[in-house]
Amino acid sequence: MSSILYVHTGGVSTPERSATPIYLATTAAAMDVEVGIYFTVNGPTLLKKGVPETLIVPKYDGNGAPLRRFIDQALDMGVKFYVCQPSLDLHGLTKDDLIDGVEMIGGAAFNDMALEADQVICF
Amino acid sequence: MADAPAHDQVLDAKGLLCPMPIVKLAKFMRDLESAQVVLLEATDPGAVPDVAAWSKNTKNPVIHQETEGKVMRFWIQKA
Repeated sequence: MSSILYVHTGGVSTPERSATPIYLATTAAAMDVEVGIYFTVNGPTLLKKGVPETLIVPKYDGNGAPLRRFIDQALDMGVKFYVCQPSLDLHGLTKDDLIDGVEMIGGAAFNDMALEADQVICF
Repeated sequence: MADAPAHDQVLDAKGLLCPMPIVKLAKFMRDLESAQVVLLEATDPGAVPDVAAWSKNTKNPVIHQETEGKVMRFWIQKA
């Protein structure tokens, strides 16, 4: 099976950047690709409990959808979500502050995933 | 144009935008038997290249396709 690792660095201050890596990952999973998203830098702020329900992914006509919809689609298709401790520390978050379905890894595990993946795509 | 082949099921993805037609298609195919054919109807402007890319990667062949106005129809056989 092919594999893609997405790296998501966008956070709550840039809602327009929040959903794209997630729905591309969902599409890859629908194509029978093994997919993970590594949320780092500001990425973990998107996964804080309560945020996905209230963060609206903007649309030109004002009818944006909450980020939760994109996250649920991804998790439902088997996309794996990863975070690492330093990027949580950056925002004063702990694993318990995050939504369910997020796995904690470290830098070494991330680098190993990158080496093992067929493609790494950074946002 | 060749006559459309027979199909077992219809999947209406009209009005849905990327990535939902492909996500719905992937889920739908899980419940089909091998060699069964689904007729997918979509209006997403990216559907033709998207279905082709999905088919190439999942090895479920598109055996026929037609376009009528804004509606694209794909006959996809489960591998």
